[in-house]
Amino acid sequence: MTAAFCGADAGREDRALAISELGYRYPGTADPALSGISFSVARGECVCITGNSGCGKSTLLMLIKDVLHGGTRSGSIEVSAVSRHFSDLAVAILFQDPESQIVCSTVAEEVAFGPENLCVSPGEIGARIEDALAAVGLAGYASRSVDRLSAGEKQRLALASVLSLNPSLLLLDEPTSQLDAHQKAEFCRLLDRLKRFGYTIILAEHDLAPLAQVVDRYLVLDRGRLVEEAIQAPAGSLSPVPDRARRAVGNAAGPTAVSISGLRLRYPEVGEVLKGIDLQIRQGERIHLIGRNGAGKSTLLRCLSGLERSGSGKLELHGVGAPRPEKLAGKVGVLFQNPVRQLFCETVAEEVSFTLRRMGLSSPEIRQLTARVLDDCNIAHLAERAPLTLSFGEQHRVALAAALAPRPYLLLLDEPFSGLDLPQRTALLETLRLLSEQSGTTVLIASHDELPDRAWPDRKLTLERGILHELAP
Amino acid sequence: MNLPLRQKRSSDYACQYLTHDSPLHRLGAGWKIAATTLLSACAVGVRTPEALTLLVLVTLGYYALARLTLYDLWRDLRLVVWQSALIIAAYLALRGAKGLMPGLRTSVQIMVFYLPGAVFLRTTSTRDVMAGLRRIVPYRLSFLLTTSIRFIPFFLREMDEITTAQRLRGARLLPRQQLDPRNWPDLFHCLLLPLMVRALKTAEAVSRSAEARGFGLHRERTYYAPQPESPPSPMAAGAGGMGDPAGRLTKRRELYDDL
Repeated sequence: MTAAFCGADAGREDRALAISELGYRYPGTADPALSGISFSVARGECVCITGNSGCGKSTLLMLIKDVLHGGTRSGSIEVSAVSRHFSDLAVAILFQDPESQIVCSTVAEEVAFGPENLCVSPGEIGARIEDALAAVGLAGYASRSVDRLSAGEKQRLALASVLSLNPSLLLLDEPTSQLDAHQKAEFCRLLDRLKRFGYTIILAEHDLAPLAQVVDRYLVLDRGRLVEEAIQAPAGSLSPVPDRARRAVGNAAGPTAVSISGLRLRYPEVGEVLKGIDLQIRQGERIHLIGRNGAGKSTLLRCLSGLERSGSGKLELHGVGAPRPEKLAGKVGVLFQNPVRQLFCETVAEEVSFTLRRMGLSSPEIRQLTARVLDDCNIAHLAERAPLTLSFGEQHRVALAAALAPRPYLLLLDEPFSGLDLPQRTALLETLRLLSEQSGTTVLIASHDELPDRAWPDRKLTLERGILHELAP
Repeated sequence: MNLPLRQKRSSDYACQYLTHDSPLHRLGAGWKIAATTLLSACAVGVRTPEALTLLVLVTLGYYALARLTLYDLWRDLRLVVWQSALIIAAYLALRGAKGLMPGLRTSVQIMVFYLPGAVFLRTTSTRDVMAGLRRIVPYRLSFLLTTSIRFIPFFLREMDEITTAQRLRGARLLPRQQLDPRNWPDLFHCLLLPLMVRALKTAEAVSRSAEARGFGLHRERTYYAPQPESPPSPMAAGAGGMGDPAGRLTKRRELYDDL
């Protein structure tokens, strides 16, 4: 039996969307991604679809927008939202990954792309660009190259590109995943105003806390099924780990793992991104580097891992200057935002053991270390699966396991929580805590958000406009 | 150890579009395609050292006209330089000392063939390419060609990112390591495979993104051209003014007003 969830007072004429018994199976898969989904949304309502990673949120939004081709579909989707004008689009969607939905080379071109497709006159497109960029806080960025934007700025650009279509029904897939706290608050204000102007909004999101003021109703998905409807955010989805005692900072007098002095880096068209960074990190410390989008966090991590050469300054990792990837293999582990870049082997076990083999360890050692790290990351059951066929959350854990396997003395994680739900985030922090305590690995997490467990870091640093500050624990 | 100051850095990767102004930035995409085709065709056809020297000078002049720097030139030529070294080495191996000049000539020809294309990518925005191509092919095809061109630098950068990420894991991808055939499998497994996966996923995401934003909905589309000076806002005429028949712009302006 399937529960049907309806917008509170939505009569047929007030409905923006009605879904009945919707099911969907991706091509080549046995299990359905969605089944028995029924709900309706009233005009002007803001509905949040939530649930753990892989529960089918994105699939549902893409089916509503009708951009999923192939596969087996059942049930019906009735969209009653209509264009306000010939040159508007009734339904618009913001996809999860802003990087790969940008098709143009400058910010203005990207925002203009949709209205151009709708045959909007060039004069009006100019006004739409101005308004949409102002709405997402990118006023003044129009002529910038999209290459020069940070991940958060790209997400805001993608949102502006959707707003310039003047949609009546707005579908947003994890729209705040790359935004910092300040931008999330701004985004909620924007949603609130959109609602008041009659826009109907459906968003899929893990992080519900910032949205509490604007969401009218929550729909909870679990393994492709709609299991709960709530007016309040579902329990367990909002609260981070309860505050607990911070560990006594260990290794205060231990050897220096990272030593940076006077590090500067300039990007063309952007200017100086790092303005004389000075930092000492002891072996085994756990560091949280927090900063707004575009503050230079990823750039600093790239310098530390030898992927970016700084303009000037001094950088040493365990006493070795001018780090280069060849010198760091097995000693420094890096987890990037997009794990797909790091995966290539036929099985998860091979993927995880790749660096160990390159380090010339014996077969028994490799087997032992691989088995241990697969257990630590809770992916032992995936050992024989192909990494590229796994879900995003699973790929993330495989990439983490591959970085952890050689027991690096320094682990760098760039926005490791993107795309992960709260249980996955807390599990990741727990894995990193164990690694740090058992192997003395120095862990540095860069993120635009607070950590779910605020007691996790030994030190908290903030990077603001290229300048590093130490925050009180 | 003090690292050298690298203030002259002006681009991040080969063929990156740069937003500064130059005579070539202002030149229409069609003219640039014609110039690129002509220069590249000359590079294929040229035979004598004198003609090749002249062509190199013309091409470098064309490059300079785009206000691109020596740093940009190095970024653009970096990949080809390695290839040139291999070509010269192959000529020397096959013909001995007599192979030097033909090897050198072929290498320079390849560089001169490639550079005008790099200038095109560095000076032409997606919109200009689409608008230019639209005059000769249907707009759907022009989008296909444009995104193919636009994503060349994207994939060059991806290649760079994947290479460095895999080097951190111990993959042997440096050019000197690739001289050893035993390391060739790394090139395929650690670089080409992830790059192909990324390419397929990106192609799917881009087409979905374009479709979701109304691409292909109408037989034609408009092209927005930013003006050097802002045109009078339709708002100036008030609600119901020209270009804003229903006062929609005014409403939208109210919507975003205090954000």
